[in-house]
Amino acid sequence: MGLFDGDIMKYEDWNKISRIASRKSLWMVHFCTGCGAIELPPVMTSRYDMERFGMGPMATPRQADVLLITGYLTVKTLKRVVNVYEQMQSPKYVISFGSCPINGGMYWDSYNTVKRLDRYLPVDVYVGGCMPRPEGVMNAFLELMKLIDEGKARGWEKYQKYYEQYKRNQKMAFNFEREKDEGA
Amino acid sequence: MKALELIGKGEEMHGRAYIKSDKEEASSIIKKLKENGFDHFVMLSCVDWIDNNEFELVYHLWSYEHKEHVMVSIILPRDNPSMSSMHELFPQIETYEREIHEMYGVDFEGNNRLTPFMLEGWHDMPPMRKDFDSKKFAEDVFDSIPEIKEEEDEGI
Amino acid sequence: MKEYELFIGPQHPGVTGNMMYHLWVDGDIVTKAECNVGYLHRGFEKLMESRGWMQNVPLVCRICVPEPDVNEMAYAMAVEQLMDWEVPDRASYIRVIVLELARIAAYLMSIGSYAGSLGIYTLPQWTLGDRDYILDIFEQLTGARVYHIYIWPGGVRWDMPEGLPDLIEKTLSYIEKRLKLYDDVFFRNRVFFDRAAGIGKIPKNRAIEWGVTGPNLRACGYGYDVRKLEPYAAYGDMDFEVVKYPELGDFEVISDGCDAYTRIVVRRLEIDQSISMVRQALKKMPEGEHILKHPNWLKWKAPAGYAFSRVESSKGEYGYFVVSDGSSKPVRIHVRGPSYTHGINVAETILKGANIADVSQILFSLDVCPPDIER
Repeated sequence: MGLFDGDIMKYEDWNKISRIASRKSLWMVHFCTGCGAIELPPVMTSRYDMERFGMGPMATPRQADVLLITGYLTVKTLKRVVNVYEQMQSPKYVISFGSCPINGGMYWDSYNTVKRLDRYLPVDVYVGGCMPRPEGVMNAFLELMKLIDEGKARGWEKYQKYYEQYKRNQKMAFNFEREKDEGA
Repeated sequence: MKALELIGKGEEMHGRAYIKSDKEEASSIIKKLKENGFDHFVMLSCVDWIDNNEFELVYHLWSYEHKEHVMVSIILPRDNPSMSSMHELFPQIETYEREIHEMYGVDFEGNNRLTPFMLEGWHDMPPMRKDFDSKKFAEDVFDSIPEIKEEEDEGI
Repeated sequence: MKEYELFIGPQHPGVTGNMMYHLWVDGDIVTKAECNVGYLHRGFEKLMESRGWMQNVPLVCRICVPEPDVNEMAYAMAVEQLMDWEVPDRASYIRVIVLELARIAAYLMSIGSYAGSLGIYTLPQWTLGDRDYILDIFEQLTGARVYHIYIWPGGVRWDMPEGLPDLIEKTLSYIEKRLKLYDDVFFRNRVFFDRAAGIGKIPKNRAIEWGVTGPNLRACGYGYDVRKLEPYAAYGDMDFEVVKYPELGDFEVISDGCDAYTRIVVRRLEIDQSISMVRQALKKMPEGEHILKHPNWLKWKAPAGYAFSRVESSKGEYGYFVVSDGSSKPVRIHVRGPSYTHGINVAETILKGANIADVSQILFSLDVCPPDIER
């Protein structure tokens, strides 16, 4: 009795295998959305070296698995981030980086940064702090791998299921005019 | 100070020359300063003095020759402020003018590139004006966005 | 031939951070370039108007990410001008040490990423790894790796801990040893000579008019450095020569200056200069107070007036224009970032006529850093 019992592999079994495979080679999109990007080069290069976890930067979103939101997100960047996220192939994961995407951080009263990232994109792992240390970043990667292994990193499925709600929120953030008209 | 001698007015402020000028005179003063060694245009700032109902434009110039900093200040009315562009004297003024146009709503005649610069899809009042309340705006726009409502069952 | 349009960025490893260039291309040659910024605009200047003088210090350092200390320094200087404060001598020397260490870290990062844009991936691995040892010093001194919030109006936040000078000396001699390796791998590398010489030339006679500053201006042959022109902190007591083209030390002069090659070599030589300056500051540092006696942090008011302070950073000249009306909050703080001119007007002009393959290295050689354009 094993995985290959019968002609066709069971969907659940296949899912498990694909999860084990994908967690060992996570590639992240090379997109510096905010100031947290300054702690990524140390993580990528010789001192912390994330390649030992099978992670590496990837220039095109179509071949990447992880999107890192490195710090605050302005409305203008959010548009591009949504574009990038929708180009990525499933399964895809989002790591939010720093305090700003959690609740606005020190830009809580800024007119141009979105305050809570999870209203626009599904987030799998949060890393707190400003800046999070490279060890924190590495820990987030390990946490993400654990979640993938357990089948709990389901942000992308959530995005598909509640697509309309996410789109509505994104549009509300992009279109200031609509807000203004309603208020008037 | 060299700049004060050249222009014949102004005062010293923390070791830097500060010259009060007006809309018509400013470009000739800056041209004269440029010809006399003040060849590094540092920046163009705008200050909103809402109590006096006026904007103050401050042109900063530096001279590598005389090692001296000079600020030329111009007062504009807060309603329909406009100023002639000086991007022909120093090309980078164009960018500063673009920013001030977007952030304060000051119009620069002769600048053909007053297109949106940093903000995208902005329809409210220019945000750097003092009567624009950033906190209220953030509350109105970003706090009104609802959370994603999830259904009870976890089996997505 | 038909022209086509090319969008580089914001999600692209070839631009220096979160910004975008819109290029019109004929074959391989760029015919027109337009910069599109604003992806990092947080409205700092607006936020600073609603916070007190002291509350702005943590905001200020976030304006330049690779080298935050220059911003703290410039802001502190502007506030000190308004308040008419004299900083204790010891604080000035500690400031020099911090600023120069930050400059080395920023140069290591910019040289590494420039080499990466030429496809020499060994150097970024090394420089970014070595930069981390400087961040370790900062961690001991200030408690943070990236944003230190250490230089305050009136001095520095706390005194240097015991044993730190030894660690600094150890790190500096390690970096000196490593610099020799960098020279072999990169600065005497045929690829670097062939790719960088004569690329991205800023016309020498227009450099000052265009607002080019810092190492980029010195690569054009003008020996202008704010540290010499208007000495701040303890730079007046430091013994150093401004690096400029064509005095490139041990390095060959293979072009007429103003190009990517000279800009990077000038940065390399300034690392040596900074190392010597840190050593001088450690030697000359006097004993004494590290900060002034302050009024209540949360309540003090700055006298009305205009203050302007300028600081030399690894990218060029930073200027802070601070206006006060005598209350506990500033009326206006305007930041002049060096990338404002380099990234927009200068880059747009010198990218014209460049090959597409060189666009990325021109941007990295100018060391454009978008957060200080947008703030």
